[in-house]
Amino acid sequence: MTIFLQLVASGVAVGMIYAAIAFGYQLTFATSKTLNFGQGEALALGALFGLTLAPFTGYWLMIPLVLVFGFALGAVVERLGVRPAVKIKSEYGWIMATIALGIIFRNLAENIWGRDDLKFPSPLPEEALQLGGIRMLPMELLIIAGALLMMLAVEIFNRKSIWGKAVIATSNDIDAAGLMGINTKRVITLSYSISAMTAAFAGVLVAPVTLTGATMGAVLALKAFAVAIIGGLESGLGVIVGGLILGIAETLTGFYISTGYKDVPGLILLLVVLSIRPVGLFGKAVIKKV
Amino acid sequence: MLEVANLSAGYGQIEVLHGLSFQVPKGKVVTLIGSNGAGKTTTMRALSGMIQPRAGSIRLAGREISGLDSHDVARAGLAHSPEGRRVFPTLSVEDNLTLGAFPRLTGSRPKGDVSADRERAYALFPRLKERRLQLAGTLSGGEQQMLAMGRALMLRPDILLLDEPSMGLAPKLVEEVFRIIRQLKEEQVTMLLVEQFAMAALGVADYAYVLENGRIRFQGPAARLKSDPAVRAAYLGGDH
Repeated sequence: MTIFLQLVASGVAVGMIYAAIAFGYQLTFATSKTLNFGQGEALALGALFGLTLAPFTGYWLMIPLVLVFGFALGAVVERLGVRPAVKIKSEYGWIMATIALGIIFRNLAENIWGRDDLKFPSPLPEEALQLGGIRMLPMELLIIAGALLMMLAVEIFNRKSIWGKAVIATSNDIDAAGLMGINTKRVITLSYSISAMTAAFAGVLVAPVTLTGATMGAVLALKAFAVAIIGGLESGLGVIVGGLILGIAETLTGFYISTGYKDVPGLILLLVVLSIRPVGLFGKAVIKKV
Repeated sequence: MLEVANLSAGYGQIEVLHGLSFQVPKGKVVTLIGSNGAGKTTTMRALSGMIQPRAGSIRLAGREISGLDSHDVARAGLAHSPEGRRVFPTLSVEDNLTLGAFPRLTGSRPKGDVSADRERAYALFPRLKERRLQLAGTLSGGEQQMLAMGRALMLRPDILLLDEPSMGLAPKLVEEVFRIIRQLKEEQVTMLLVEQFAMAALGVADYAYVLENGRIRFQGPAARLKSDPAVRAAYLGGDH
């Protein structure tokens, strides 16, 4: 039983990272029905940028700088990759464009930081804590708290600020939002910025417990994509539950079956959810009043 | 207040409006009537920048607004309560009203007192006050219409466009909508009204244009058109 709880606890930390990245997919999907398939590279660039800054600023002061960096990166992706494709009404152009930008960013990162994985110094003690028989790294607790706080902060921004309300209005009905005087193009840029900002933040959260390098985000972003589909692209709560399910399923599979099959449950879950509930576990079937 | 000259607009290859010219003077209510497909909603959409006109000029208080995106048209002072109401379903009634004042809250129109205006909207539509914190998507059709009108007024617009405000409403609510339009008229709100209930629209308007196949067929003071036998027979379908 203790082993089981231990596996669940480790799965929660991994799951929260998936949830944070999946949350970023939701943000852009809500406003523009498009996604940044370079989220993994935004995560890696955030971590590498943070790694470079950390010796000068320390871990904690580095975080706001990484957030600003991610914010700017998202705006670049939207302006270069998404807006031109949407403007010429290319239905899938943004997919190719965001993947291409991701590859460019990855190569850029390899040129600047090299191809080898780097060690990200942990800001917290690397001794595991004993919590009622379960061992957890302080860094894992920071991941859980940090990811939750970030999602909460974005939700509060959306609910309380006038720009956040403009984001929700744009998600609800982009034409009607325009009639309110909301520049919906700018709102879509904003959603890309916030989305890449969450990925960059996830990068500096996860980097101390994994290795840091240009390719570190690729697998995380793919699994987070599965989480976004499982949780529903429209539901904030869904990605947390989806992330936890996947994270826990992976650690359990890794222990009870084989670490070789660790990546299988995510894909099976994805297939099952898509065949039973295509809108996602928590997705809402859209009801339109006429 | 609003001067439209030779306006042409359409969708894709199809041109729907073929050179419309009309005016809405300050403080007056003007209505566009005509059968389905005559181009009434297309006109409204072209005015507010939801679709881009192909030719012609639209001047609001002397300023050319044709070719602007819809958000810039709103900032110029034109509020459009669209066909089908289009409230924001996952936001509360209060947030919907607040968003109507978006240009005022973000510095592109004089701010004034937004919360006082919200109270004025609640006074005009008491049902909305009761449902202040409810999500707009859970309102009835009539309540959503009230909200759409209240939201448009939050801009403090120079002109208010009302597209089919009575569509799909029960007769009692249709009366209520017209009562409110009359009240706004008394408050000197400049309005352009598109309505399926042509007789009721002519009853409240000062001036009317009759649209047919994207062209203006008749125009005149609303009271005169209302009693014109030719107009009645062709466009008012008897006694709506």
